[in-house]
Formats: sequence, C-alpha cells, structure tokens
Amino acid sequence: MQSRLSLLLLVYTLLVVISAISLYVLGEKRVDVYVSLNILAYYVSYATLRPTLTTRAVRFLNIALFVIFAIIVSFRVYEVLTS
Amino acid sequence: MNMRLLILGINVLVVSVLLVVYGILVGDSGLVGIALSTSIVGGVLVVYSTTPQDPSITALTGYSEILVNAITSTLEDLDLLESQVCVVKKSDSVLLVYSKIPCPIEVDPGVGFTGGSPYLAIPLRTLSELVESSSEAISTILERALITLLIEEYSACKSVRVEEESGFYRVYISGLVETLKQYLERPVDPYTLLTLVAASRALATRCVRLVEKRIMPDSVLLVLGVERSAE
Repeated sequence: MQSRLSLLLLVYTLLVVISAISLYVLGEKRVDVYVSLNILAYYVSYATLRPTLTTRAVRFLNIALFVIFAIIVSFRVYEVLTS
Repeated sequence: MNMRLLILGINVLVVSVLLVVYGILVGDSGLVGIALSTSIVGGVLVVYSTTPQDPSITALTGYSEILVNAITSTLEDLDLLESQVCVVKKSDSVLLVYSKIPCPIEVDPGVGFTGGSPYLAIPLRTLSELVESSSEAISTILERALITLLIEEYSACKSVRVEEESGFYRVYISGLVETLKQYLERPVDPYTLLTLVAASRALATRCVRLVEKRIMPDSVLLVLGVERSAE
C-alpha cells in the first residue's frame, strides 16, 4: 500500500515539474494556468495509481482541488463570454 | 502519520511561500505561478502524510497472533470454545468476556465463575479518541468510530457500514486485509474485538454482545446486540 502511495506522489511530482518547467520556458505568465495544470496532474496521477486507502483528509483534498479547478475554468469561460 | 512526508510537505510549503514573495517582488508572474503550483504539491504531501502507515497493520497483525494463540489455548482449557463473546463496561474499565452465559455483568478481570459457568475476562483499553455526538444516530456514530479505527488507524479493511435493525446493529466490514483474515475463524479476531470495543463506547451501554458472525470471502458481517440486564 505504501509503495503505491509513494508511486502516486512520485508520478504527481514528476508531472508537476515537467508541466511547470515547460510552461515557464514557453513564457507563460498566467498564474492560474500553472495551478490548473498542477491540479490536472494530481487527478491524472490519482486516477492512474488510485491508493487502496482513502481517508477523510484525502477526500477533502480531492474536493478542494476540484473546487479550485472549477473556479479557474469558470473564470476563464466567463472571460471568453464577456470579451 | 508519516512524519517524514509531513516535514517534507511543510518545507515545500515554506519554500513556495518564499518563492511567491520573491516572484511578486521581482514582478515575475511565471515564477509566482510555479511557486503556487509548488505550494499545492506541499499541501498534497501534508495531506497524504496523514494516511496510515504499514507499521500500524504490521503491529496489529503481530499483536493479534500473540493474543489469538494465548486466548485460544486458555479458552480450550476452560471449555469455552463455543462460548459467547461480549464487551462489558465496568465503572473503571472495559472487559472482553467469553462465557456461556449471554452477557454476564458481574465479572472481574481474569478467569472466574458466574452463574455456574466459567468465564474469561480480558481488560481492554478504552478508545478515548472516538468522537461522540448526541445529535447523530448511534449507528452513524458507531460507523464513524469504526472507520476511524479500522480504516484510518489500522488500514485493516476498505469499508465499514453500520445498520440498525430492530435493536441490533449490523456491521458490514469489507475489503479485509489478508494477514488478519486468517483470524476470523478463530475464537478471537481483531475485527470482532475492535468492533465490540468501539460499539461499547458508541452505544453507551453496559454490555454489547456478538450475536452473529457471518464470514464471506472478502468481508465479514457482525451482528451486535445490546444487553441492558445483568446475568
């Protein structure tokens, strides 16, 4: 169980490092893009390497990250609609 | 709790905060983005540091083996292998009691006789960390207590569900750990023991007994009965 959790954290961290470096090299200046890609990286890692045990804290984290992601996407959609 | 992961997460959070401040000062929003992204990584590490560790279940398995072997031989000597198991709450302690009488209240720790029948009473440590709330249903309190104990503390199973049915509490425990599953057929098993102790606290009654134990391939159903009368 613990090795699976370690693998999840390793894959997630690697995805975050790759995405953050790529975005910075490409000259991306929008903060929300970094955050949303980070959250996507977390969900991809979580869906691929789902830990056998899900505690209350992890469930709360999943909900919190989803809410942040939904707010970012909603804001972007609102910007497109109003421009 | 994984302390190393917790410290790593807090360190990552601190570094990310410093990076955010530096990014704002130099006016580099890309750096602020990277710092915020790093802070989420730190938060994830902190949250995952609270998941139970392997040593918890390893310790429980080792303890169970010693307990089961010791108690089984004692029960054999007392001719109590086909006995009833219950948890009796005394004024200052909680006792796990094996006896042919359904729920003997007048028992002391150790081996003795009550109502003409031998009994074996083992003192247990009460679980003070269980949360109690008078506004919720007892089955909900018990379910939450068992989730905290069996899933979050020991990783002994994957899910716990409690239903109340005409005064009986049906506890469904599924996704059992392989190392503990072997004890289900024995007179003492950690699932029954921990469930009874949690129930004795959550139900706030003097005696909780195991009415039925149904073992399935990957789960177990425990039916608990609440006894209010003595002997």
